[in-house]
Formats: sequence, structure tokens, C-alpha cells
Amino acid sequence: MSNRRSRQSSSALRISDDQMIDLVSKLCQLLPEIRERRRSDKVSASKVLQETCNYIRKLHREVDNLSDRLSQLLDAVDEDSHEASVIRSLLM
Amino acid sequence: MNHHRHHFVPDFETDDDYVNANTNSSSSNLPRKPIIGEEEDGDLMELLWHNGQVVLQNQRPNTKKQPLSSSAAVKLHNGAPPPPLDHNLFIQEDEMSSWLHYPLRDDDFCSDLFFPAAPSSERQTSNQVTAARPPVPSTVRPPEPSSMRPPAPSPVRPPAPSSVKPAVRNFMNFSRLRGDFTGGNGRGESGPSIAKSTVRESAKVNPSATPASSAAREPDLTRRTDGADSRGAGDLGSKSAVDGGGAYTVGHNRKGKAVVTTERTSENLGASSSVASKSEIEPLETIVDERKRKEREEVGSTECRNEEAKQGRGSSSTKRSRAAEVHNLSERKRRDRINERMKALQELIPCCNKSDKASMLDEAIEYMKSLQLQIQMMSMGCGMMPMMYTGMQQYMPHMAMGMGMGMGVEMGMNRPPPPPPPFMPFPNMLASQRPLPPQTRMGGYPAVQASDPSRVYGPNQQFDPNSSQAQFSGYMDPFQQFRSLYPSQPPQFQNQAASYPSSSRVSSSKESEDHGNQTTS
Repeated sequence: MSNRRSRQSSSALRISDDQMIDLVSKLCQLLPEIRERRRSDKVSASKVLQETCNYIRKLHREVDNLSDRLSQLLDAVDEDSHEASVIRSLLM
Repeated sequence: MNHHRHHFVPDFETDDDYVNANTNSSSSNLPRKPIIGEEEDGDLMELLWHNGQVVLQNQRPNTKKQPLSSSAAVKLHNGAPPPPLDHNLFIQEDEMSSWLHYPLRDDDFCSDLFFPAAPSSERQTSNQVTAARPPVPSTVRPPEPSSMRPPAPSPVRPPAPSSVKPAVRNFMNFSRLRGDFTGGNGRGESGPSIAKSTVRESAKVNPSATPASSAAREPDLTRRTDGADSRGAGDLGSKSAVDGGGAYTVGHNRKGKAVVTTERTSENLGASSSVASKSEIEPLETIVDERKRKEREEVGSTECRNEEAKQGRGSSSTKRSRAAEVHNLSERKRRDRINERMKALQELIPCCNKSDKASMLDEAIEYMKSLQLQIQMMSMGCGMMPMMYTGMQQYMPHMAMGMGMGMGVEMGMNRPPPPPPPFMPFPNMLASQRPLPPQTRMGGYPAVQASDPSRVYGPNQQFDPNSSQAQFSGYMDPFQQFRSLYPSQPPQFQNQAASYPSSSRVSSSKESEDHGNQTTS
């Protein structure tokens, strides 16, 4: 894989441009903000990385919120009902 | 003894000492003061990085003693007999000798750092140092300092004030120094702030360093280390060994080596310096290392590069070189920024043990996708819980299972293999929310999905008004679509054909915003 070559060359200090472009584009697809802003076609790597970090933190918060809610719902449901099992599986 | 001091801010003291020295008095005075002031810890540390060999990490006990030797030198200068404490220190660290020789230089380094102006003094000190280095025996401290003193044109240092005072100065200096770079971040900052300071400091250093290529810098370090062969060998060896490992030096390509070396040497030598406050020191060390590195670079630059830089600047290509410098600076800043973000991202991603940037980014992407899917599923689960109350219990497990499998993503959920077809809508639903890869097995439902967004939106709001996910608006779509458009489609659903009426009731009740009218049929 071509990435491997560039990967080998890329250390913590350097990363090939192609690699970065590829990853940045992937991240762009995932990041809603960047997707909207993409029209400018000028997304610096650092910006993308920052957005990624922010987005991941946001996702973490979301997961926590949903976990809380599911826990509350679980409390409201009978322990041995299948809903409870479903919720538990979701919370895993 | 001064252990407590060491614990708290050895770095600061040392830095401050030097800084103060630089700022307060002429460049030359400073080195002495720290020594005199018994800021030995500080002195040692500073010297360590100045020498480029950074050998003398923060071994408090050693540092204390070493400074004594330096202080001894100072004392000699002042006329006081040097304490023989050096011996044990020197035995352990030959670098100390080089350090001893450098005390003068420290001032220069610091001054260069802050007030890049005293090349002459630096040269003098460098000359001194080089002169002093060769004959530096590990145990012959007292005579060397004394020998250094006479030739050293370093300005007379005022007698070291009480240890407390230098400490205070150190603190202030350090904060000032930090302020210079980072706008006043706390000393024991976390990585990002340190990294930022590093960036700034590197930026600061760059101007002086860029004139000479990084290659030139290495030779400088090498040159300096040559003075003390034993030291140099050890240092170089350690440097080369750690080139790849400096986590802290990720952002500093050129200086990375030096910095890494600094840290490594400090770690190697500083086994004893790992005082109780090691944890506290480490962040400081990073800062100090950074400064050390800078100063080392400064030294190197001052040593040989200054002349070169000056000559270069004097040439006609000054403007070009300046532009190149600026470009390099900006490039380095950009790289540092990117590296900062990469590190932060790496911290966010769990179980990310990849040191490679590309693989780390790949993992980040995968992790983000899995997080998104997980959130969607949990949202659906949350949304469906109320549905269970409304009598859709039979759907719930199926849907949940379908969701789990339909996603095709293992998110830690152990689900049995789901009945396939009826649950395609969920993947579709998710797909509608996000451009998920085809792994979600999108069937022919996209059209179906789009048909009832408005219809579903209301009921969805009822169930999960606080759900911020747009997915929620869609999660009912497949469901309702099933009921309305594909009542008999999924075989599994037919098992629950009885539930269809109820589900339709539910949907109708939902639409009428009436949860309870399930049995209207």
C-alpha cells in the first residue's frame, strides 16, 4: 500500500502530504462543520485536527448524556424485562 | 537542606537565576550569581542545557554540590575558599565540569535569549569554557574554577544574595520568561500550554537559530561536547539514542534532537534527581528543557552561528535569508501547531498506542465513526424506550438487535445476529443522517425514508424532545414506514402482526399526539 511507504517515512515529526490530504479529506467527511465550511476548500491540517478533537469531545459528551438517559430509563423499567436487557446492551 | 527548594521550583530557580542575571546585571554577572546564591540547583540545571549536553539534569543533591563548586569558583572570585563538595558530584557527572566552565556562558545564553546582544561576552565565555573544558578533571573542581576565574573577563558578580532571594528572583524570572513566551501561563502547565510555550520559544529561538541551519546547530553541540570527551561521548550517545523518543520534542524537528537529548540525559543522569516532586518537576522540566534547548541553540548559535549569522546578514542576501527565516519560522509554527493537535487527539482516542501519525489518524477516523454510530444507536434506544411503554415492546428488542447488526459495527455491544430485512430501515435511517459507508446495508429504503419526515417529526419530538440528534427525526421514519408501507414485509414482523395494529395505533396516536390511544383499534 502506498500509505505504508509514506507511513514509514512519516515519523512523529513529518507526514507526507498525500497522507495528510487523504486523512484530512476523510475527517472532513466526518466532521459536519468542516463539511459545511468545505466550500472554501481551504482547510488547514491544524484546523481539521482541532475540529476533530472538538468533535470527539462533543461525541463523548453526547455518549455520556445518552448513557445517563438510558440509565434512567433502565431504572424505570423492570429489571428482568427484555427492554432492560436491551438498554443494558446499549449502555455497554 | 535545600531539597524543599528543589522540589518546588528547581527549574525556576535556575532559570530565574540566569534570567535575573541576564536581565539585572550585565550578561556576564549572571552566571556567578546563581552559583553564589546557592541556587545550585538552578545553576546546574541551566548549565546543563547550555552545555548542550544537558548532562547535569536536575539532580538536586548533585546540583547542590556542583554549584558549590561553581560557587566555589565564585567564591574564589570573591575570595572565599571553594567548598569541596564537588567531589561526589563530579564523580558522578563529568559534565559538571563542563557545566562549571559554562557558568559564565549561562548568562550569555540567557542574555541571548532575552536580550540577544552580547556576543562579545558570549565569545569570551565560550572561549573560557572551551579553555576550561579540556583540563576539566572530574574531581579537580576547585582549581579549575579558580583557573577560570582569572582568565574569565566575566563581570564581577555581586555576592550571591541569600538563597531565598534568588529563589524569588527565579520565580519571577521564570514567570517573566514564561510570560515572554507564553503570555504568563502557569509553570506546571499541562502539555498543550507547554507545547505552546515551546512553540513560542522555538519561535523566539528561531530568529537566532535560523541563520544557521539545524545542521550547524548540531555541530555546535558537538563542538561543545567535544570539549569534554567523556561527556560528549555520553551525551552524544544519549542524544542519538533518544532522537526518536522525545515525546516532548515532537514539535521540534531541528531542536528535537537536542531537546530529546536534554530530557533523556536529564532522565538518565537525573535518576537521583527524581525527587519527590518529580511529577511536579517534569512539567517544569519540559519547560526548562525547552528553554535549555533554546539556550543550547542559542549558545550554539552564539558560539559559532552568531558570527555566521552576522556575516550572512551582512551579505546581500540578507533579505532573502530573512524571508527564508520567516518562512521557516511560520512553517515551524504550523508544524508545531499540527503536532500539538495530534497529541491532543491522541489523548482523546482510547488505546491509541500508535506512534505513527498516519495510523493514529486512521484510528481517529475509525473511532469517530464508531462513536457516531454508538450515539445514534443509543439515541434510538432512548427514543424507543418510551415506545416500549406504549406497547411496542416486541419491536424494541428486534429493532435493537437489528440496529446492532445493521450497523455492522462492533461497538462493544453483544447482540445476537439480527433478523435481517426488517431492520434495514434503521441503517437507512442512520445513513440518512450521515453518509455512512455502505456497510450499513442500505436497502431500497432511502426513498421510503424520505417520505415521512414531517409526519414523523412530531411524534419524535414528543418522545425525545431534548434529543439533539437529527437522527431522531429519522428514527421513526423506517418504523412508521414499516407500518404504513410495508406492513407485511419482514417475516419477523409478521410474527408480531398482532402488534401491527397496536403499532399503527401507536403511530396514529403519536400523530395525534396521544400516547395512550393504543388500543383504539
